[in-house]
Amino acid sequence: MTTTPWRRSGARAWLPITRYLGARIGQAVIALFGVTTAVFFALRLSGNPALLLAPQNATQQEINQISQQLGLNVPVWRQYLNYLGNLLHGNLGYSYVQHEPALTLLTQRLPYTINLTLAALAITIVFGVGAGMIMALTRGGWGERILMPVVLAGQAMPAFWTGILLILVFSVTFHWLPSSGDNTGTSLILPAITLASLSAATVARITRGAVLEQLSRDYVRTARSKGAGTWRLIWRHLLRNVSVPVLTVLALETANLLGGAVVTEEIFAWPGIGQLTIQSVNDRDFPVVQAIVIFAATIYIVINLVTDVVYGFIDPRIAVAPKEAG
Amino acid sequence: MRAHLRFCAAAVAAVALASGLAACSTSGTPGSSASSSTAGGPTLTVDLPSHPASLDPGLQYDTESYSVYRNIFDQLVHRDPTTEQVVPWLATSWKQDNSTTWTFNIRKGVKFSNGEPLTAADAAFSIERILTPSFASQQEANFSAIASATGTGDTLTIKTKYPSPTLLTYLTTLSVVPEAYVKKVGNAAFNLHPVGSGPYEYVSSIPGSQVVVKRNPDYWGAKPQIAQVVFRAVPDIATRIADLQSGEAQIADSITPDSVAQLKSANLQVLSAPTERVSYLAFNTIKGGPTNNTSVRKAISESINYSALINDLEKGYAQQVNSVATPLNFGYPKGLPDYSYNPTQAKQLIKAAGDAGQTVIMATSPTYDPTIVQAIQADIQAVGLNVKIQSTDQATYLEKVQSPSHDWGSIRFGQWSCSCLDADGVAYPLFHTGTIWSSYSNTAFDTLVDKARETLDSSTRLSLYAQAYGILAQDVPGIGLFQIDAIYGASQKLQFKPDAQQDFFVADMKLSS
Repeated sequence: MTTTPWRRSGARAWLPITRYLGARIGQAVIALFGVTTAVFFALRLSGNPALLLAPQNATQQEINQISQQLGLNVPVWRQYLNYLGNLLHGNLGYSYVQHEPALTLLTQRLPYTINLTLAALAITIVFGVGAGMIMALTRGGWGERILMPVVLAGQAMPAFWTGILLILVFSVTFHWLPSSGDNTGTSLILPAITLASLSAATVARITRGAVLEQLSRDYVRTARSKGAGTWRLIWRHLLRNVSVPVLTVLALETANLLGGAVVTEEIFAWPGIGQLTIQSVNDRDFPVVQAIVIFAATIYIVINLVTDVVYGFIDPRIAVAPKEAG
Repeated sequence: MRAHLRFCAAAVAAVALASGLAACSTSGTPGSSASSSTAGGPTLTVDLPSHPASLDPGLQYDTESYSVYRNIFDQLVHRDPTTEQVVPWLATSWKQDNSTTWTFNIRKGVKFSNGEPLTAADAAFSIERILTPSFASQQEANFSAIASATGTGDTLTIKTKYPSPTLLTYLTTLSVVPEAYVKKVGNAAFNLHPVGSGPYEYVSSIPGSQVVVKRNPDYWGAKPQIAQVVFRAVPDIATRIADLQSGEAQIADSITPDSVAQLKSANLQVLSAPTERVSYLAFNTIKGGPTNNTSVRKAISESINYSALINDLEKGYAQQVNSVATPLNFGYPKGLPDYSYNPTQAKQLIKAAGDAGQTVIMATSPTYDPTIVQAIQADIQAVGLNVKIQSTDQATYLEKVQSPSHDWGSIRFGQWSCSCLDADGVAYPLFHTGTIWSSYSNTAFDTLVDKARETLDSSTRLSLYAQAYGILAQDVPGIGLFQIDAIYGASQKLQFKPDAQQDFFVADMKLSS
């Protein structure tokens, strides 16, 4: 990751940024190429999908015929070249099982995953930051005593358990919310809470730590001594300084969630990318798995790339100077 | 400071990307009409473990696809659930002109839901497209005995490559599609918006989530009581049960025996029917080490506590069998005694064979219930063999046990169903010399099974299979552990009688309000 070559040309301000940009984009392309190659070969090691697709009493000849129809009878290197060629044309392949283009299947599921992600993020921000603030400001008092066990529970309880508990309470016992699917506006609530419980807990703990750290700073003491009330202190001074670590976690969570919330989607029968992933992996539906992995990798890489680029523009010194480890 | 900048930049990038993607979230969601009830009857909501892989009945034939599309389409013939006989459906009658030529009379006045009449040509087209290699149908193997199908007027003529006693059986799975419509819109569009002649017609679907069908007003048969059906994909069994408890769904498929108590305590119905699926052990008699020896295989067959498997693990939702087949398969050897549990004798046989303490490998996959596999392991270990379970994912398991080198271990656990209700679909692929599943070879057995394949007379076939299964009972190349039940959970308001073919015909169900 060290980027030494352009240190020499630091005198001309525009050149390093262009070079820096080019290098970052180059790295992103290489990373993406690595992922597409890795997923291709990893899948080929996982067994022949023709065996799963053939009826149980099919003969070897019939299985071979299915292999041939799927293009799996040619040597792996030929398959790989075909796959790369198709990728360059934006063709992610055709689902073996569902007989539709893999990209179509992916884009059909994407809106559900995005909705779920945004709802979970909203819950994470409101509850995570809120609870974290309260815990820090009431350290050792009632607020922390009540909220800390809740936060710990949120962090400790796995999604498959949280989800079932919520269904049993809110759907089976009280009939307030639907237990699965996406048929009404309220369908989103339970899966979003399930998905958010872990990230909200994480954010709450990070917020609490960050606020506590800031509270011991001189500027807080100064503000307090000048007579600033608690709310003014929070709005004017704390939030701004606390937002940095919290936003980092949120950015990482977003990338994570867009890749598909596998467990939550499975429990709530939410037709997003997570469910498609499980289904396609089980079926050895190579083109769909490849499309999902490439998509998820692209999101990570793009977020990282944009981060690096924005960062380079905000502070050109960073583009010029070699990065420190960590 | 630099670190902080990086954090901010990451956050900005993430939020920008998320909102960019969110912009496309409004498109591509087909309208859901699940909650709106159609006039003139109730709406049934069905929880299936996954979304149907295809709605085109020529492509997939997994249980979920089957459960949905067989309500949209009519089949050429049906099987009567009580008598197990093949009965008329779209074909009103049929006769055999010679050993390889069959003619079927197609019902007059049947219309597809787009108004086009259904003819013998449509039936012939439905068969021919499954046989077309470029169509890549997973059902091709089921119809591979057919050489050609032609339709003129009301007459469908099917020519087989060899005399095929199982032709009618496979035709119970054949749904008839409209030739003109399929050719007009193309296979891909047809799969997305199927048009059939069945009791229900396609309304809408949300990929990965649900398919909605409504009663076909112009259906030729009796008018179904249920007006609309929502087939939902609910992969988690706990959620399927919660859906039944909360009233979100009225019937759920793929219930496991250990969930039955929960359903009963919630005042829900448990519906079940024996299927032609059989849990079995097969032995490697070629490169299996100890299992190359017939008396070791016999000992293993006596080491297993069958009634414990059936009553304790399957909770009674399984039936004992006497061979690797079920009573639903034509040719099941009714004269053979059931397997017996005799661990003392088994121990002596292993000792006499000099194999006490030997290690044998049992191949299986996570697709199959591990508690059953472990119970079998414990039973066999108790009589003196050391059993090592090798569980690999299904595709790898298939690759391994089907390998022509027979290097897959000594025992394999699996489940078998040919969806054909005939011994040919079990005995031939599992034990005939040289088939992909067989690690056994016996010329006398091969001759009998080959003969039964091409004999059309039922009584001759029965006696051939009785002899063939007699040889298997002597040689023990495999053990039938039990016949598996299909289990459904349902609301008390639903009337439904599941059958052996796992036909999920909603037209035969009734839902009271």
